[in-house]
Amino acid sequence: MSAAAGHEASQDMLTTVHHNLNVWGFPETPVDILGFPMNLKTLVMTWIVMALVILFTVSATRNMQLKRPGKLQLMVEEMYQFLRGLAYENLDPKKGAALMCLLFSLFIYLLFCNLWGLIPTMMSPTADVNTTLGMAIGVFITVQILGLYYRKAKYFKHFVEPFVFFLPLVIVEELSKPLTLAFRLYGNIYAGEVLIAVLLGLIPLTITIFGGFIASVVWLAFSIFVGFIQAFIFTMLTIAYISQVTAEHH
Amino acid sequence: MDAVVQALGLNATLVAQVFNFIMLLIFLRIVVYPHIVRILEERQNYIENNVAAAEEERKQAEALRQQYLADMQKAKDEAREIIQQATKAGEEQAREIIEAAKAEANRIKEAAMQDINREKEKAVAELRDQVATLSILVAGKIVSEKITADIQRGMIDEFIKEAGDLPC
Repeated sequence: MSAAAGHEASQDMLTTVHHNLNVWGFPETPVDILGFPMNLKTLVMTWIVMALVILFTVSATRNMQLKRPGKLQLMVEEMYQFLRGLAYENLDPKKGAALMCLLFSLFIYLLFCNLWGLIPTMMSPTADVNTTLGMAIGVFITVQILGLYYRKAKYFKHFVEPFVFFLPLVIVEELSKPLTLAFRLYGNIYAGEVLIAVLLGLIPLTITIFGGFIASVVWLAFSIFVGFIQAFIFTMLTIAYISQVTAEHH
Repeated sequence: MDAVVQALGLNATLVAQVFNFIMLLIFLRIVVYPHIVRILEERQNYIENNVAAAEEERKQAEALRQQYLADMQKAKDEAREIIQQATKAGEEQAREIIEAAKAEANRIKEAAMQDINREKEKAVAELRDQVATLSILVAGKIVSEKITADIQRGMIDEFIKEAGDLPC
């Protein structure tokens, strides 16, 4: 009884915080765009993030210097080389080079998405399950296509290995990949945002005991770390899945 | 299924997000990605060239060093040879000088001996001449004067005295 009441109270508090934070006036419920219901806030945030990614990468790759790279250029280069190292280690360099653009875009887009939600009143596009599930399904389809492309008919053999009876299990395994990929990212980022809101809502309580904003600031710092880690995990798992289906020998 | 979709809040945003990402992917592929690949490739080539050049230069330096070492060794050998030759020549010359000096000394000695002999002969001849002259003189005196014992005595004394004055 009291637990339920407490739950009610926290829901109320969260709703209040969300309501107070919604200074841009985004509608809480999906709106119809082109005849389909869509989350307007997620879309707008995605566009902003896309613009930021474009701004960042374009300004980093404009006037690239060979001998004395600038700070932005160095950041992009390091990011690229880090991902390239991962891809070349897990795939062979030829396949890795073909996928580098996808991996690089994926990583930088998810990274910016994850970090964007840390700015007050903004929201991570990845804190919406639609985004993460969309990305995960995209990755899933890419993986299947790459498997077919690189291994041709042999690709279907892994569904019935080691026995035909494993087919349902393998299918479940395959389908669980995009789901885990999506919900891992979504859960981490959404939980991070909820906790940010909760900590903000708790300020009236914590201001006298824990120093008010300190908990919030610590959590924001940790969320930056989580943002990097989750973007990295998503990219890394994409590489791993691709390497699984394209490997010549099992 | 509908319940799951409802519970998760899935809707057309999913498709829109995939579309958004594909748009971003295409944009990055066209505008950004080639630059990154190009610059990294250029840098890799640059570094490779530098390393190759450094290796080449190192090899050249090593070759040069070997050549210098060889040259130096050759120069040392030559110097040693020259010194040996010079020493030999010096010894030769010294011996020659000593030989020449000895020969000269012998020659001078011979000449001196000849001189001495000649002088001696000359002196003997002169003495003989004077003896003869004195004899003639004595004979003359004996002939021209009356010879007494006193005179004879006096003559002999005189003769001896003269003879004693003679250089011989």
